[in-house]
Amino acid sequence: MQFTKRNYLFARGWKSAAPIILLLPGFILYLVIAVGPSMATAVYSFTDATGIRGIAINWVGFENYDEFLFRGAASRDNIAALTRTLYFCFFVTTIQFVLGLLLAVLLNSKLKGTTFFRTLFFMPVILGVAIQGLIWKLFLLPRGGPAAELFSLFGTTSEFLGGQPKQAFAWVIVVQIWSNVGITMVIFLAGMQTIPDYLYEAAKIDGANGWQLFRNVTWPLLTPAANTNFLLNIIGSLQAWQLFLVLIGYRPGTQVLGYLVFAEGFGQTSGSVMTAFRQGYAAAASIALFMLVLLIALSANFIVSRREKKYML
Amino acid sequence: MKRPIMWRLLTVLFALGLVAAACGNDDDAPAAPSVDDSSPATAEAADDSAAPAPEPEPTEAPPEDVTLRVLVHQNPPMVEFMESFNDSFEAANPHISIDMSVVEAGDLSISTQTRLSASDVDVIDIFGFANAAQPYMSDVTPPNWQTLIEAGLLMDLTGQPFVDLYDAPTIADAGSFNGRVYAINLGRVSYSGMFLNLDLFEATGVDVPTTWSELVAACDAFVAAGNSCMTAGGGDGWPIFVGAYGLLGAMYPDQAALVEGLWTGDITWDDEHSVEMFRRMQIYATEMLEDGVTGLSHDAAPSRFAAGDVAMMPTGVWQAPALDAAGVEFDWTYIPFPGSDNPEDNQYLFGKYDQGWAIAADTPHPEAALAYLAAFSEPSNYEAFANAVGFIPTQPTAALNTKLGAEVAPYLANYRVGFEQYWVQPTGAGQWANGSQAAAWFDPFNEWTDPVALAEQAQSDLQAGLDASS
Repeated sequence: MQFTKRNYLFARGWKSAAPIILLLPGFILYLVIAVGPSMATAVYSFTDATGIRGIAINWVGFENYDEFLFRGAASRDNIAALTRTLYFCFFVTTIQFVLGLLLAVLLNSKLKGTTFFRTLFFMPVILGVAIQGLIWKLFLLPRGGPAAELFSLFGTTSEFLGGQPKQAFAWVIVVQIWSNVGITMVIFLAGMQTIPDYLYEAAKIDGANGWQLFRNVTWPLLTPAANTNFLLNIIGSLQAWQLFLVLIGYRPGTQVLGYLVFAEGFGQTSGSVMTAFRQGYAAAASIALFMLVLLIALSANFIVSRREKKYML
Repeated sequence: MKRPIMWRLLTVLFALGLVAAACGNDDDAPAAPSVDDSSPATAEAADDSAAPAPEPEPTEAPPEDVTLRVLVHQNPPMVEFMESFNDSFEAANPHISIDMSVVEAGDLSISTQTRLSASDVDVIDIFGFANAAQPYMSDVTPPNWQTLIEAGLLMDLTGQPFVDLYDAPTIADAGSFNGRVYAINLGRVSYSGMFLNLDLFEATGVDVPTTWSELVAACDAFVAAGNSCMTAGGGDGWPIFVGAYGLLGAMYPDQAALVEGLWTGDITWDDEHSVEMFRRMQIYATEMLEDGVTGLSHDAAPSRFAAGDVAMMPTGVWQAPALDAAGVEFDWTYIPFPGSDNPEDNQYLFGKYDQGWAIAADTPHPEAALAYLAAFSEPSNYEAFANAVGFIPTQPTAALNTKLGAEVAPYLANYRVGFEQYWVQPTGAGQWANGSQAAAWFDPFNEWTDPVALAEQAQSDLQAGLDASS
């Protein structure tokens, strides 16, 4: 069949507007629930908004940004939270990427029980953050918990989530990877299953061993899946904060930027003390987080795009 | 064939648009039924409601059905009492049904703000007003309750007859702003004492400690006998430093003066007296508390204490009902934390005004909401409530007829509002500036092992905020 302009569904006259009309509801929805709030956040970051109806909102210019980045010792803590966010992103992205790839390679082979293990590794993804946190809090109980018993076999003890900030932080990284590695694995698996068998057969005829098959066939052809995973892992880990809330709460030395935004926006709780809601300030912190995500995601996207062109063209 | 497809698509789209339009605007929807629709729920109406609600005329039509939305925080004995009270209130007021939501204490402020802003609640549970900005403070954000009042979201309860049932200082301290009453506070709690397992004290041959030195010696004796000295819900973080509020109070019995001194520079966290307090907080956190409390939740701590091999549990009196529920089989008492070597300094119980009731200013059912608070405040109901939850009563006619009531009675004359209720962090202060929480920053709960270094860091972080605020 030869395609001509007449064959197009929406070709001439008013019909050409049909795609726009059909897209309009979705576009409006996107504007209302995504673009609108994002722009409002940017505007709010220049105000002293509390989020409480009836309280006047005043324009404060760059005061929130000034306070967040430069004012007193709190700015030092904010910068530390920002640095911690980058550490979290680096470790989660790296380990989750490698582990997801490893699991996908193993579960893409013709071993017995692969379906069961695919389900098993993916299962944490469908659990809510609260459930994930509860499971790990019970597992990591320092007094009589399974992990403590395991540690005792090696003659050591740990306070796990309630102990030193660095230790607690490391355990949140572990839980974050556990809860999301299933997605990474599935994306890699989907990518692997699009690679034609004849490529492997041809390589084997040429004498390629297992590593060479992976290095020269699987890995290059996994480029789209790898790039997707890379970006998703980076963005997901930079925005992560719920697990920090559920697992360790608001403790000095453990906050990441996402949690800081939440705590400032909705009042940190300390016993029964409820601090003020500073949603204008939280919006400024949120914009700082957004800029960080944007910068890193754009850089990563630039790198992976180059790699995609190299392998896929 | 293309035209019919197009028309069908556009027809479906148009129909969806109509549905969305119909759902999107409820301005014309009928108002929810209310007890009295002639009483618009506005801030102005709230002012008018300062006068007692008029008795309905006998000839009036029967009142319309009303659903009163009540928000409370999770506290098992309190929720249990409220469910029972709601049943009896509904039985006495057949046209009013209660829709009570229960949220975690930590989520109460968020739920309160969002539901008040959305006009989605009638009666709210609100903690006693505290942390107000003082004249010696500068550049501080007002506390949340003040913002809610200034936004006109809380009803003015001034002049309501049930307000007079509560003692005047409580209403003034914990429920008033600018001379108007916005909340009735239902009870004081002490958070600075500790529960003692008296049977274990007797079995170990240890007397109840009255000074810090005696407490240290007692702990050594319990550990030497193979028991634990103290437990606390360290998994939640805050019970560790709240458990040391008695130590803070013993070292600084005038907590309001401590806050003022820290703001004005007359007291510093790294002066000799404060450093000694930090040293004791470290001993409490690292030596007195048993191993493994870093994973013990606040709710689970009473069960651990009830096991019988822990001598002391520093925490608030609100844990007394949980102790009963945990089936404690030994004799216990509750005493102030002996944090000072001067017994005179260890006689105070510090605490806070706990739960209270407020009404949304724009509730569509102001009469039903006021009737709910009036019924709750009836002396017999209130006394039952105070005894169920273990609050120190704020109605002068109520008595705490429980074991806890008997145990704390000798200290009630020395009850004081604690540091937590006075402290306001200077804007720009660092994360270590609130030294009252230092107990939770020592190993094993956090990274600090040197009390002098932590005291200096706390003062440095505080000073940075004071400098930035000045």
